[in-house]
Amino acid sequence: MNLRDADSGKVLWQSSDDLSAPDTEHEARVPKRILKCRAVSREINFSSQEEMKQFRLEQKVYFRGQIIEEWSFEFGFVIPGSTNTWQSLIEAAPESQMIPANLLNGNVVIETKFFDGELEVSTSRVRLLYV
Amino acid sequence: MGLLSLLRKLRSNPQDELRILLLGLDNAGKTTLLKVLASEDISHITPTQGFNIKSVASNGFKLNVWDIGGQRRIRPFWRNYFENTDVLIYVIDSADRKRFEETSLELSELLEEEKLVNVPLLVFANKQDLLNAATSSEITDGLALHTIRDRSWQIQGCSAYTKEGVTDGLEWVSKTVKSTKK
Repeated sequence: MNLRDADSGKVLWQSSDDLSAPDTEHEARVPKRILKCRAVSREINFSSQEEMKQFRLEQKVYFRGQIIEEWSFEFGFVIPGSTNTWQSLIEAAPESQMIPANLLNGNVVIETKFFDGELEVSTSRVRLLYV
Repeated sequence: MGLLSLLRKLRSNPQDELRILLLGLDNAGKTTLLKVLASEDISHITPTQGFNIKSVASNGFKLNVWDIGGQRRIRPFWRNYFENTDVLIYVIDSADRKRFEETSLELSELLEEEKLVNVPLLVFANKQDLLNAATSSEITDGLALHTIRDRSWQIQGCSAYTKEGVTDGLEWVSKTVKSTKK
């Protein structure tokens, strides 16, 4: 997974850890300046040995347990033996609606669930620390 | 033009979601083009072993660009991604003359696909920065693009590397989508 400043395309945070490892919450130490970006993109990278026909994802961003942002995406077919990426670009909220960095720190969790049809394939939780 | 500005141009569209499909032979430059659209670094791109998707959302309107790997092993799977495509972008390595026949064949098969009927086609004649690159008009003739009657199409010379021509191609996409979707 990585996070980029969507204006410059520059990577602000990147991890090649297997974030799908179950029952662990991962931590991402993200530079504070990401909060100044007008738009941020989040990219996830995943591989599959198996063919899947109804692959989809649900990504939720929580702030203190409350959903503040939600994406669902239908990939449909996944090629056997493939490596794939999905990137979503999010525009920043107007400055007046921005939650200050000190409140966000440690309180934001990105949860990504993968499904094949109704079957849950994996869940990953990444907690963001703004450093 | 980046993805966000393309999205803004398309926003007046009555649909709430748009799907652009990028296809072409391996090494044509599909992933590079996709990354250029997102202003990303293009110095470490490896052959795509599946798909790369970029999704942009703004005010409830979504644009999804799908780049599917072009290697021979992967091409039979292309058909799984045709559904609901609004624009097909077909990318050609204009300097790889040895493979013009192969790419022409793949394109003509795509144009016969039922699920892609009437879908507007943009051909990106990529790698125009290379000395031996064929021009757009040479490629138009070589691929017999003039025989296409069942859809709007456009060929645009470009270089993902220098970014030349990329915006012009996207302008055409936004214009075409607006006029065909009303």
